[in-house]
Amino acid sequence: MIRTFIWIAAIIAASAIAFVLGGYATDVYRKMLIWIALALSYNFLFGTAGQVAFSHFAFAGVGAYGVVILSTKLGLPFGIAFIGAMALCALIAFIVAVPSTRLEGFYLALATLAFAQLFTVLINEGGDLTGGTGGIAGYSLPSIFGLQLRGPWYTVVLVLLVAGTLLLLNRLDNSSFGRACRAIRENPAVAAAMGINVRRTKVITFTLTSTLAGLAGIAYAYTDNVINPPVFGLENVFLLLFMIIVGGMGRPLGAVVGAILLYLAPFFLEPIVGHGYLVIFGILVVLAILYQPAGLAGLIDRGLGLLRPRSQS
Amino acid sequence: MIHTRFASAMAIAAGLLAGSLPLVQTAAAQDVIKIGVITDRVGSGKFYAEPVTRGIELGTKIINEKGGVLGKKIQLIIEDDQNRPDVSAAKARKLVDDGVVAILSNTGSPATQQAQTVSLETKTPHLTPANSADTLTTQLDNPWFFQTGPLASIQLATLMSYTKSRGFKKVAIVRDNSSLSQSFAESFRKGLEGVGIQVALEEVIPQGATSAVANLQKVRAEKVDAILQAGILGPEMLQFFRAYQQLGMKEPILGSYNLSIPAYLTMAKDLMDGVVFVDAYDDTKPEAKVFHDIYLKEYKEEPSSLPAYGWDGIHLIAAAITKAGSLDKEKIRAALASTQNFTGAIGAKGTSWSFRDGKRTGFDPQGAVVRVIKNNQHGPVVHAGQK
Amino acid sequence: MEDFLELTVSATASGCIYALMALSYLIVLRPTSIINFAIGEWAATGAFVGVGVLTTLLWPRLDAPYPVAVAIVLVVLGLLGWAVERLTVRPLVKRGAPVTSPILALLGVLVIFRETLTLLFGADPFPSPPPLGYRRLEIGPFAGAPQQFFIIAVTLTIFAGVWYFFERTVWGRAFEAVAINRRAAALMGINLGRVTALAFAAGAAVAGMAGLLISPLTSAHYMMGLPLAIQGFTALVIGGVGRVEGALLGGLILAFAEQLGARYLPIPSGLTLAFPFSLLILFLLLRPTGLIAPREVR
Repeated sequence: MIRTFIWIAAIIAASAIAFVLGGYATDVYRKMLIWIALALSYNFLFGTAGQVAFSHFAFAGVGAYGVVILSTKLGLPFGIAFIGAMALCALIAFIVAVPSTRLEGFYLALATLAFAQLFTVLINEGGDLTGGTGGIAGYSLPSIFGLQLRGPWYTVVLVLLVAGTLLLLNRLDNSSFGRACRAIRENPAVAAAMGINVRRTKVITFTLTSTLAGLAGIAYAYTDNVINPPVFGLENVFLLLFMIIVGGMGRPLGAVVGAILLYLAPFFLEPIVGHGYLVIFGILVVLAILYQPAGLAGLIDRGLGLLRPRSQS
Repeated sequence: MIHTRFASAMAIAAGLLAGSLPLVQTAAAQDVIKIGVITDRVGSGKFYAEPVTRGIELGTKIINEKGGVLGKKIQLIIEDDQNRPDVSAAKARKLVDDGVVAILSNTGSPATQQAQTVSLETKTPHLTPANSADTLTTQLDNPWFFQTGPLASIQLATLMSYTKSRGFKKVAIVRDNSSLSQSFAESFRKGLEGVGIQVALEEVIPQGATSAVANLQKVRAEKVDAILQAGILGPEMLQFFRAYQQLGMKEPILGSYNLSIPAYLTMAKDLMDGVVFVDAYDDTKPEAKVFHDIYLKEYKEEPSSLPAYGWDGIHLIAAAITKAGSLDKEKIRAALASTQNFTGAIGAKGTSWSFRDGKRTGFDPQGAVVRVIKNNQHGPVVHAGQK
Repeated sequence: MEDFLELTVSATASGCIYALMALSYLIVLRPTSIINFAIGEWAATGAFVGVGVLTTLLWPRLDAPYPVAVAIVLVVLGLLGWAVERLTVRPLVKRGAPVTSPILALLGVLVIFRETLTLLFGADPFPSPPPLGYRRLEIGPFAGAPQQFFIIAVTLTIFAGVWYFFERTVWGRAFEAVAINRRAAALMGINLGRVTALAFAAGAAVAGMAGLLISPLTSAHYMMGLPLAIQGFTALVIGGVGRVEGALLGGLILAFAEQLGARYLPIPSGLTLAFPFSLLILFLLLRPTGLIAPREVR
């Protein structure tokens, strides 16, 4: 009961922000929400299930390009285009997952990296269908029953996207499925001996989280109403990985904090150190792995632990 | 527990935002005219974006020394978008929040494209002085956006008019996989096919390639009359010139205005003799001389053509504000749109910019010039316009 | 036929660069099981150090002779590799962290190196003088650039040296022993820490050489690292992670597939980029051990 109340209060608070922000702050806030949504699903894949994959932004791209191509180039109604793009994501993720989750350890990273690069080549060379390197512009969300989601109300949609992603993944995290994922991350052989279907769990995790990335990609497509290849490239996947490492692997809180910090940091650091902020990110990642494997989430736990009497935590 | 953590995380987010970003824009007393610039200081477009921005800064300084515009000084607000489209749009919003009356975009074409969604939505005059992609004004119907860079289609037409007497029938296009290069190649192809010249093949030298021999062998095998060089990335084009030399090829090379960047002359030293390229800068033009002398005095070095684009861009905006007689954005837009015969440092002698017939591309179709590289130097202008 | 012979030289030279990158992965991977993505940036560092020594970048009017540049690249990169191992990898290995931890830490190192290069040298490409000049050089029926022949010769020398090291020296045997069974090797008295440090130093030196060798063809620039890293591990996956010869074979196969494909396959040129990635996926899925299988545990 109290939990539900806190949830609703948090969603209302996060939505209310949207109505007081100026144009620039809204833009920053929206893109941050999308990063958080992506970080949450990536955290489940990489942090909780231990699959180091470099394809997360490619799937966001499949979602974004899917929905825009289906609705503007093929003229399908938005609802069908939306479902179609999600289905496309799930299908491609499944096709990638079945063979590649067979790969041990870091070879999964190589295979998904190759897939991500392949996707970039295809959208760059896709001619009129993908708009090539210029991408696609000049479309917008259609109005539904005469209502169009615009301005702060679109920000609310993004807040709901984050909340929905978080709720779903939390539920999964606390279920037997989440425990199976962690068992596989720690030791696949032991997990198999415990009666866990390792392959199936891995494939489901990969497909589900990649589809969630596609959902975030769809949300991104209507943020600026422009899509183009650079956003879905390798650079951003690295940043996503760093967000999870700095925030704390396998913890939704870590994903949220890591995404907020690394997304906002450049806005403050760039005027001071220019591009040097990326060196700082690199150092942060190395330091986190060396000295604070639990990431910022671990630090927050410690901080809260100091504040609260023991019985409550 | 996890749920309360989420709530606290959201509270952190809200706090960070509230603390760091202005919630509601406060309208400051306008004793200066704020003009926004989006440039790429660190990304892949830095090598051309930075010099253009320098030209804007120099132009602003000179305009202010002469008393400014409408009795007010111009204040530039320069934002770095790292050539990332999503960041470019965010920075455009920041500039609008800061109260600029116009935005100049000196960055990659996709970034300029994405920033346009902001100028359209916030009704802010938006000019790109150097971008040359033909699609920038066609992909989005944005009456607030203007382009004065030499369009790829004009560059091609100029090259073709220079080589008309040689009667090319069949050519090859060589490009890299960068965004600008791809759009160049596309405009080139359309233009060539429009005048009945066959594009026998389009070869791509991808970023990170270690050899262009295979690409150029294909070109050689097709026995084309000329090679249209639409590349943008320095290292990859260096391989193009190396392979060309190594394979003993003799086909004439015709390049875009990208080859007017002086860095090529040192990077591909001794490899570019005889290369024909388009430029939009003629240093014998009086307006270009004025710019040249001021630049030389200010920075103690010879300018390339790049800062001239920025110099012209800020002068064009200043002229529009003067004509509008106010800082009202709609009036500035209308003044920009009605620009006729604006003569800047860029463009062939005797040509000027106009936005005619509702078009938002202002570069004079006769404004591009052709030069030939000789002894590792840009030679003098050998041809102008497309007649 | 002339085309094919020219292409042979070009593809062999490119393949040699890929092979050196694959070798750099392999030297680190064999004893430590760590895939070190940072080697792409180490190659870029090697290129910049070489250009700095060879041209007036660092010391005005002091253009060093080529062998000096090679020596300085080897020493500087070796030291960098050693330092990175000390600072980031060793503490993790000592703590018994899972093997993904150092791999991820090295991704951080990758970013640190690349951005430091950007800060130091800016975004402009630097021309790198080749030791033998530019022209068309014909050796028998083969025609290419002098630098391409130079790359092939140096690479074969390095491979011969590394092969000799692994097959014929005590230290090389120690590497193999650690690769086959860490614990048993430690029990046999092999100093695991020293083997790991040496692996990183040698891997970095090899990557630095690859960067120095390719720079006259591509120039030295901050974007050169990642493509080399990707080409290198594609070669590694094709050739197999077990043996030195595999790296060479993998590099050559990749380069020949790329360049013969670009030359003779009837597909749009832009899509030939997809070729190496498809090859990588195919090999990962169909033959994850690569073409040359590792030596059996005896």
